[in-house]
Amino acid sequence: MTTQAFFQREFASALDEVGGTLQDALAALRERDWIDAGQEFYARLCLEEALVNAVTHGNDSDPSRSVRIEMAEDGDVCVIRVFDEGEGFSPADVRPPDTEQMDGRGICLIRYCMEQVEYDASEHCLIMKMRRNALCQGGSRNG
Amino acid sequence: MDEERLVKFKQVGAITVGKVRAGSVLDAMNVTQFGEQAMGYVKRHPRTHLLLDFHRVDYLSSAVLTELLKIDHACTEAGGTLRLCSLNKDIRKVFEITNLDKHFVIYKDLEEGVKRHQRSIDVQAQEQAWLKKKKV
Repeated sequence: MTTQAFFQREFASALDEVGGTLQDALAALRERDWIDAGQEFYARLCLEEALVNAVTHGNDSDPSRSVRIEMAEDGDVCVIRVFDEGEGFSPADVRPPDTEQMDGRGICLIRYCMEQVEYDASEHCLIMKMRRNALCQGGSRNG
Repeated sequence: MDEERLVKFKQVGAITVGKVRAGSVLDAMNVTQFGEQAMGYVKRHPRTHLLLDFHRVDYLSSAVLTELLKIDHACTEAGGTLRLCSLNKDIRKVFEITNLDKHFVIYKDLEEGVKRHQRSIDVQAQEQAWLKKKKV
């Protein structure tokens, strides 16, 4: 199956760079009918958590490093890839944190909302897959 | 400047209501400001019984949850309490997904929040008075 990229953006690792990319990515998802109004909250949540994680954890908020997001259509699946220049991690190994822990909730939220979530260590990228207007409807959520 | 404040505090009886005035967003970009303002208030006012009102907030990310946990710890350590109210259904869902709906006491709206938070403080005070009396 060939994938058709419909959105690409690269920015320096700084939190104030996230907002503009986030808005443009959401607009691209809306334009392509991947999300409706009821799904926008969760799409925004997943994109923001992934981008902020890439900036703060992946790239250690180092503005000399960059974050890249690509969104592509693969049949009836939207594939969102967020690239950073960090060490990488396994989303499946991130357990829901207890109240003493400050980090780890972002990836749990993404796992709940998206159909599939994985990290490609060779590409340094988080891959999130969703079906049309189907966020929070099963798939990768496993606690 | 007042218009830059994300949280506006007001005393209602024993309860300090903190109205979160973030408009449509409370995300990773302004969450530090939110945390500093709320935490600053708690540090300046020990034993605060804080009720954070999210009526005007349409969205929040996990960064806000982290700030809320920090504020909750600070309140508890200073002999106070933190309660939340007026979460919309999507924000409520974020708390449920992360299991924080079991950690925080969340009230439906401000009216219920003030009433029940006040009641819980009164009950706690009565219990402490009763225990003190029993010891004597």
